[in-house]
Amino acid sequence: MSTVQQASLLGGRALREALRTPDSSIPTLLIPLFFLVVNVGQAGKIFPSSSTSFLEGQSYAAFQLPSSLLLAASFGTAALYLVEDIEGGYFDKLRAAPVSRSALVLGRLMAEAAKSVVITAILVVLALPFGISIASGPLGFLLLLVLTSLWGVVFAGFMQLIALKTRSAAATNSGGLVFFPLLFLTPNFVPRELLTRPMELAATFNPVTYVMEALRSLILRDLAWAPLARGFAVLAVLGAVMLALNVRLIRSYD
Amino acid sequence: MPREPGSKVSATVESPPPTIPAMELAVEAEGLVKQYRGRGGTVDAVRGVDLRVGVGEVFGFLGPNGAGKSTTVRMLTTLMSVTSGTARVTGIDVMADPDAARRRIGVALQEAGLDPRQTGRELLVLQARLFGSSAAQAAARAQDLLELVDLVDAADRRIKGYSGGMKRRLDLASALVHEPEVLFLDEPTTGLDPASRLTVWEEMRRINARGTTVFLTTQYLEEADQLCDRLAIIDGGLIVREGTPAELKAELRQRRGLHVDPTLDEVFLDATGRTRERLAGEVREVSA
Repeated sequence: MSTVQQASLLGGRALREALRTPDSSIPTLLIPLFFLVVNVGQAGKIFPSSSTSFLEGQSYAAFQLPSSLLLAASFGTAALYLVEDIEGGYFDKLRAAPVSRSALVLGRLMAEAAKSVVITAILVVLALPFGISIASGPLGFLLLLVLTSLWGVVFAGFMQLIALKTRSAAATNSGGLVFFPLLFLTPNFVPRELLTRPMELAATFNPVTYVMEALRSLILRDLAWAPLARGFAVLAVLGAVMLALNVRLIRSYD
Repeated sequence: MPREPGSKVSATVESPPPTIPAMELAVEAEGLVKQYRGRGGTVDAVRGVDLRVGVGEVFGFLGPNGAGKSTTVRMLTTLMSVTSGTARVTGIDVMADPDAARRRIGVALQEAGLDPRQTGRELLVLQARLFGSSAAQAAARAQDLLELVDLVDAADRRIKGYSGGMKRRLDLASALVHEPEVLFLDEPTTGLDPASRLTVWEEMRRINARGTTVFLTTQYLEEADQLCDRLAIIDGGLIVREGTPAELKAELRQRRGLHVDPTLDEVFLDATGRTRERLAGEVREVSA
């Protein structure tokens, strides 16, 4: 059996696990929606769509939506389930099987990608009453789902590293908080060129910026290949690094 | 004359222990060492274990908490790297070809390692698929094993609701999905009530009767006495006694000049240099 087949079996089990704990998905939907409502409520009047050129004729909620989508994809619940497997001994049972070590980490990441696609789609639908539309059309919507789920995989990979290293739910949970500084060091409220110089510098070095700008371009404009290429390139590099580190760690796991 | 705790005693004083021909060995370890690097320096969990377990045996591996039992089992089952020495199961070097070794061994570790959100059947099917069975083969194998461990009625319920005894039996079944040649059971009856313990014993006997070698670690000396053909006692990371239960008792009886055979408890206490009083009040950190 190939590594991909083994990872698919383990991914299927991880999805079943998620379906059987629907409670864990509720915060993943509600908290990003909460941030969307609060951020639009606080800054929406400052940026009316009629006189704010960077909104491209849409509401401020459309500008804010990528932050909420990225937040929803950054809960990293896969890593918390992994810690449960480690603490409960099931992870050792899987390790005692003749399964590729890569499949052990890939399975959960594949499930995380599928979960992110579903949650992103639900969030976009829930955001429609805010006057949001996906300007890049159905293909743009598809790319938006792919970009967000790839970010979900990257972040889940990062959380899995903490889980495998510390084997502690508390440490893994705390590790997830890293996303908040990353989210706020982006052009979260205004485009990059309107940020103060120090914030602009920080945003330029923050990889989340490029994913956010790619998502924003899909929502506000027709397909714009330059921001999309930057977004996908950042995700490809981060994804490769996370995967390599995960595989390295699982191979030396005692 | 009392013997130095930790010094190795072969079970038969008059004649050497029976040797097992190399071709019939199910488990073999030579100079097995495991060191951990901790904040306080290097910890020697296992300091040079030599073991030979014959095909078809039920081999008991005893020792106090922290003696190195679980660490040794984890090395033999490919779950932990080996610092030095060699370990083979059914002739396969566990470090050189871990996947080949995994195909020949079944493992049920302490604290039944199960996924509480799956049903018993789902868990067995997944385990069988991971060992290379097709979906149809896995479903059939799961059904056979559920019947074997008497869990057919609970098969489609989530494991979360199983009792401790049911979880142990399911864990045992999951270790058997690929019909392993050697079954490693690490304290399989710890925490079970007497009835559940007897059920696990019956399963173990039945599995062994089908030709599977059983490598059993336990803290219950009565269990070892009842089930094991041969056993070894580990203390401080070294094997300090090895032989059949009868041989070990006879050796102590002869050495101490006793009129009746001692119990296995007394053999254990003699081997580990402990007293009943010390054992009762002893609290040791379990390092593996």
